[in-house]
Amino acid sequence: MIPLLAARQIMASLGNRVCILASLVVLGCSASFADDVEEAEEKAFREAAALAEPSIVRIQTVGGLDRVGQILAAEGPTTGVVVSADGYIITSSFNFVNQPTSIVVRHPDGRPLPATVVATDHSKMLTLLKVEADDLTPAVAAPAEEVRVGQWALAMGRTFDEQLPSVSVGIVSALDRIWGKAIQTDAKTSPVNYGGPLVDIQGRTLGIIVPLSPQGTDEAAGVEWYDGGIGFAIALADIQRVLDRMKKGEDLHRGLLGVSFPGASGLLGVDPTIDRVRVNSPADKAGIEAGDVLTKVGDVPVTTQSEIKHAMGKYYAGDRLAIVVKRGEKEISAEVDLVAELTPYESGFLGILPTREPTDEEGVGIRHVFVDSPAAKLGLKNRDRIVEFQGTPTPNAATLLDLVSRVQPGEEVSVTWSREGQQETQKVELSAIPSELPTELRSVPIVPADDAVERPEVGHFSGTIPDGEMTYWAYVPETYNPAATYGLMVWIHPHGDTMEAAVLNKWKTICQQRGVIILAPRAESISRWTLPETAVVKQLVEKFIEDYSIDRQRVFVHTMAEGGPFALQLVTKDRDIFAGFSGIGTPLRGKLPENDPEFRQQFHFVVGANAPLKPRVNASVEALRKLKFPATLHEVEGLENGTYPEKTTAETLAVWADLLDRI
Amino acid sequence: MKRLRIALLLMLCCFGREADVAAMSTRETIEYTLPRVVKLFGAGGLRGLAGYGTGFLVSKDGHIATAWSHILDADRVTVVLNDGRRYEAKLVGAEPQLDIAVIKIEDLTGELPFFEISSAKSVAVGQRVLAFSNMFNVAAGDEPVSVLHGVVSAKTDLAARRGAFQIPYDGPVYIMDAITNNPGAAGGIVMTRTGELVGVIGKEVRNSLSNTWVNYAVPIPELTKTIEAIIAGTYVEDEKPDEDAPERYRPLDFGLVMIPDVVFRTPAYIENVLPGTAAADQGLQADDLVLFVNNELVQSARELKRALGALESGDRFEMIVRRKNRLITIQLTAPKKTDQ
Repeated sequence: MIPLLAARQIMASLGNRVCILASLVVLGCSASFADDVEEAEEKAFREAAALAEPSIVRIQTVGGLDRVGQILAAEGPTTGVVVSADGYIITSSFNFVNQPTSIVVRHPDGRPLPATVVATDHSKMLTLLKVEADDLTPAVAAPAEEVRVGQWALAMGRTFDEQLPSVSVGIVSALDRIWGKAIQTDAKTSPVNYGGPLVDIQGRTLGIIVPLSPQGTDEAAGVEWYDGGIGFAIALADIQRVLDRMKKGEDLHRGLLGVSFPGASGLLGVDPTIDRVRVNSPADKAGIEAGDVLTKVGDVPVTTQSEIKHAMGKYYAGDRLAIVVKRGEKEISAEVDLVAELTPYESGFLGILPTREPTDEEGVGIRHVFVDSPAAKLGLKNRDRIVEFQGTPTPNAATLLDLVSRVQPGEEVSVTWSREGQQETQKVELSAIPSELPTELRSVPIVPADDAVERPEVGHFSGTIPDGEMTYWAYVPETYNPAATYGLMVWIHPHGDTMEAAVLNKWKTICQQRGVIILAPRAESISRWTLPETAVVKQLVEKFIEDYSIDRQRVFVHTMAEGGPFALQLVTKDRDIFAGFSGIGTPLRGKLPENDPEFRQQFHFVVGANAPLKPRVNASVEALRKLKFPATLHEVEGLENGTYPEKTTAETLAVWADLLDRI
Repeated sequence: MKRLRIALLLMLCCFGREADVAAMSTRETIEYTLPRVVKLFGAGGLRGLAGYGTGFLVSKDGHIATAWSHILDADRVTVVLNDGRRYEAKLVGAEPQLDIAVIKIEDLTGELPFFEISSAKSVAVGQRVLAFSNMFNVAAGDEPVSVLHGVVSAKTDLAARRGAFQIPYDGPVYIMDAITNNPGAAGGIVMTRTGELVGVIGKEVRNSLSNTWVNYAVPIPELTKTIEAIIAGTYVEDEKPDEDAPERYRPLDFGLVMIPDVVFRTPAYIENVLPGTAAADQGLQADDLVLFVNNELVQSARELKRALGALESGDRFEMIVRRKNRLITIQLTAPKKTDQ
């Protein structure tokens, strides 16, 4: 035992590089002083490796994919670390990225042991394995409070040689990296030692080596940094905290709160004022509201968005987290139960179209009842008036829409309506908004205005936005009557062509029949739209909403081909203005918005039945439906890229636009 | 028992090194090594192939050992010593299997310092090393080569591929944790911190087991005999062994019907065991997964075919299969073949 104790003392002193001088003087070493330090360090490396060695196991896999994405899957052995004597082994999820058929762990004495995957930590990219054994040597964790930047760190793996693990020497480069999850080291980490331990100079395990990246979240993210002097390890002490959960087979995921902050990137924005709270999210359930300022996560005070992300990094779904928010001058504490996935919100659907003409009668008039809808089941008919929803009076369509949108499909609601002076109340289950368009929808006739009525400009005309930044053309039906309400179609032209004649030609009579106004801004350079132009378009649309009698529920963007990305920007940025998006031959690219009962948005796509883009348009529709957006798809035989479709297609589109105010 | 093992390891670590009395300091090692490492300039410079490399002196007469590479394809190779002296050298001999070549300076007047290659010893994992090479041709003028520092990460057999090809050398190598294997570094030298010769830096290759670039050096003792023979003019290249894998036995010869081998890594699952055969007698069953043949991991149906194909008539061998969560070991014998 004496050499062991002596060695431990030397190593302990080496851990603290100030003490090194003292210990060497005490040991009476002479000759070149620097060489003795190097000699002592070298010895300590090997001793630390020898102490850590019994807990490092070799992992082999059989079968699986030979190519994962762009990466050629490696077939060589990988490394794991014993975390309990009874056969639990923790390793990097990267080692199973090729989904092997079978996993074998080599006992340090050479015996092959069949292994099963018990659980995966999807946040820190770790996998827990179990083998049948009771004589394994668990790794000893270095206490978190002793770990310092600058101390020696050895990255070890058992892939090259089964008898003796490989060693790469470096230092601890940083703590709490990758949003508080990992220790960073400049020891060389690569598939050669992923899953192996990062060891301190006393042979204790600092952490488990994994590839990580501040942005990517899949198993292979961060591999591109291998051997580059930027390596990561998940602190063993942190793993031990969740080991019991993982042993029970619980997969761990990053814990989500369900709030978002202003600024798209989240990292540059510093303001920790909550921008939006996802409906039904943990934050929503805990009573957090938009406008609250997050000031504390767990016991960590936070003042910026990145501090919040950092503090949240170590929490898992299922964790109960105490947070503090400031609402005005008030401090509010809340307990939230974090979740792995925020479920998209789906608005309920009653199945009516409200009447549009202004009236003095109470409630919401019905202009159309959809076949097989909850409204049809209630026996509602045209000209009935809905006066109460869930006991709340519904003086206008906007109120009714807001109430219905906040109820999810499948929930039972009570509806009160009046018919010829008689009131009736009944219960019905709401459905989801159908993804098919009705084949026919009668238009609402509009009475032409009196000649005496003062009207803004009508017909086909061009204009310039007052400060002169953007030109546009517009079409307002000649029969425009300020007493009726109109839909507003904002035409976003494709690159290089305003298509003014084609669009006007197809839409002119539709606009007159269905009461639609066309507003078509021109990109400053016709060849392409630029992002800052969204603000100008918004300004222009607001001006039209002010000048004309426009139904806010029926303001939609219409675009074609390369206009799509810019149009999607408009729809996602200004959700309070645009209630719909309709694109011809353009799949959605970029981040999709999330569904929100406060700003209902609907989507319609037109694509050629044989267009090369069709699969991508289909994928867009699927993605939107997954997010619970009402999305319809119209396939048109023979529609070619770059040409505006025939009038019949525009008529279908007009039907969609005419039911944007469905409830 | 475990404690004892650790203690023994520690004692080895502690005392094994202290016997070494003639050890140099790091500075002395560098001063000793630099005059013995040379920069080489030859063919290449096109299509991303470096026209430069590294070599080390192995005799007083100007014999230089280096990696067997395209820069030697030129008629003459220019040698630049650490002090800037320039010479022309000519190829003496090469052993592509070991990836080693020897060139000799022509018109040398006087003697040059050199490495005593027979004095090289093996080194341990964790030992500090210095790597000397003309990497990236960064020592462009009359300067000596670059020195890198690291530790020996592992000692292992090389399983590597260069481009799409496996490189011929598959013997033991030292893996370093410094990024030693760079363009132009092949043929450079790795020394311990204390002045012992360790190995020759290899080419830039990828480890085919982990798909990572590997930093390796071939231990000098692996090369000593060949280098000495080339210098002495007595070297005869070995005949290359037959590369084709034999296919003496198939799984069916043991009564095993495997699932169809459809993808690159079809796992070696048994589809059916023919009754009355050796496999059936040993209790193998359908859906067993063959994991090991003679302690070698069988990663795919293809590897099982190769492992069985290499057996000799009458060989007794061990097969380990996985059945649910159990490993089952059985013994089989390769049937005698009369037509051999």
